[in-house]
Amino acid sequence: MKPSVTPPSASDSDLQLVERTNAGDQRAFELLVIKYQRRIERLIARMVRDTDQVQDIAQETFIRAYRALHQFRGEAQFYTWLYRIAVNTAKKALLDMKRNPVVTDSALRNQSDEDETSAPGQELTTDETPETVLAAQEIAQAVNAAMQALPEELRQAVTLREIEGLSYEEIAAAMECPIGTVRSRIFRAREAISARVKPLLENQTGKRW
Amino acid sequence: MKQDLNQSQKEQLSALADGQLAAGDIGAALAFADSDEGRQTWQLYQLVGDVLRSPELAHHAQHDVLSGVRAQLAREPRPQLQPMALQAITAAQGVDRAANGSVFRWKVAAGVASVAAVAALGWSSMLGSGSAPAGIELVQNGAPQQSVPTEIVAMQSGPGAPVMLRDPRLDELLAAHRQYSSVAALQMPANFLRNAGFSDTSVRH
Repeated sequence: MKPSVTPPSASDSDLQLVERTNAGDQRAFELLVIKYQRRIERLIARMVRDTDQVQDIAQETFIRAYRALHQFRGEAQFYTWLYRIAVNTAKKALLDMKRNPVVTDSALRNQSDEDETSAPGQELTTDETPETVLAAQEIAQAVNAAMQALPEELRQAVTLREIEGLSYEEIAAAMECPIGTVRSRIFRAREAISARVKPLLENQTGKRW
Repeated sequence: MKQDLNQSQKEQLSALADGQLAAGDIGAALAFADSDEGRQTWQLYQLVGDVLRSPELAHHAQHDVLSGVRAQLAREPRPQLQPMALQAITAAQGVDRAANGSVFRWKVAAGVASVAAVAALGWSSMLGSGSAPAGIELVQNGAPQQSVPTEIVAMQSGPGAPVMLRDPRLDELLAAHRQYSSVAALQMPANFLRNAGFSDTSVRH
């Protein structure tokens, strides 16, 4: 099966967080910010030249999303909705600066939100430096190495969840085990992989994780 | 003990990331996510998931967008925490969603229908409770009611036939309004309707 960037049931989590935010719990929105910040930054970095603008536009994107969150009906993926806000915010910022939008080839090729993050383009975005590219490669290698080191049942569970996008029920049926076991296996797999990634992030960011 | 609690909280975050956390546990998961450790755990889980799906996303966040968003939101008028709304969400997430549950206009239609139903029930119960409007009350006070003796006549068409109790006033009323006498369950005149019975077809009246 072809892996998708956004797991099919990710919207359940997003919708839960959106509803919670609309009910007045701002902590739920902060989880959405953390979840999508990297994708939004990457998207914006493909559109603007000014590195300093990326953070401001990303921030403005999330503020606009928060203000309009009550209009989100869950009929589309949350990221699709957020993607449009980010693009519009970036365009407006560029117009405000009286500049023409600089859209890279890869961004032009990937107008769809699903494909946006899996662009094969190798060119550096605004925010990317050789150091950040190297850091990203290290993280990817650490994740892959951690996956290979996982016990078979943990690797299978997290693969079915994260890459194939199956629900816990479907994974339980596929692996012939209770749903509680699926939940536990996925959690343990995430913890094991995170343990390998943490030291890298500490080195890269200079703060304790 | 604390270690177990910590693991349990992280497992809840993991389930929340998959949209598989029970609605009743979301509050606890969000409380944990509000701590530094919880936030970092959430961030790591998202990073791991993204990297597994696309190595392109194998980079940590370049900027501290969250702090900026927080500072800005602190200046925003924010909706008050609504216990009722949270309960409604909890209840809605506790049961299976309807197929059209995500379509907002259906929710609006359901809401309007609910209000209309409550209004109709309230109106009918108000009418049925005997509390007549003030105008009617005045008329009733002005014209004191006379108690009319009720005369019930027992009629029997023949020996062995069932006894039918007849109220002469009701008979008069029906005779005076014969055109409405075939009001059926339709609540409208339906003279074109005939009663059907199991009587012998050879007997004609």
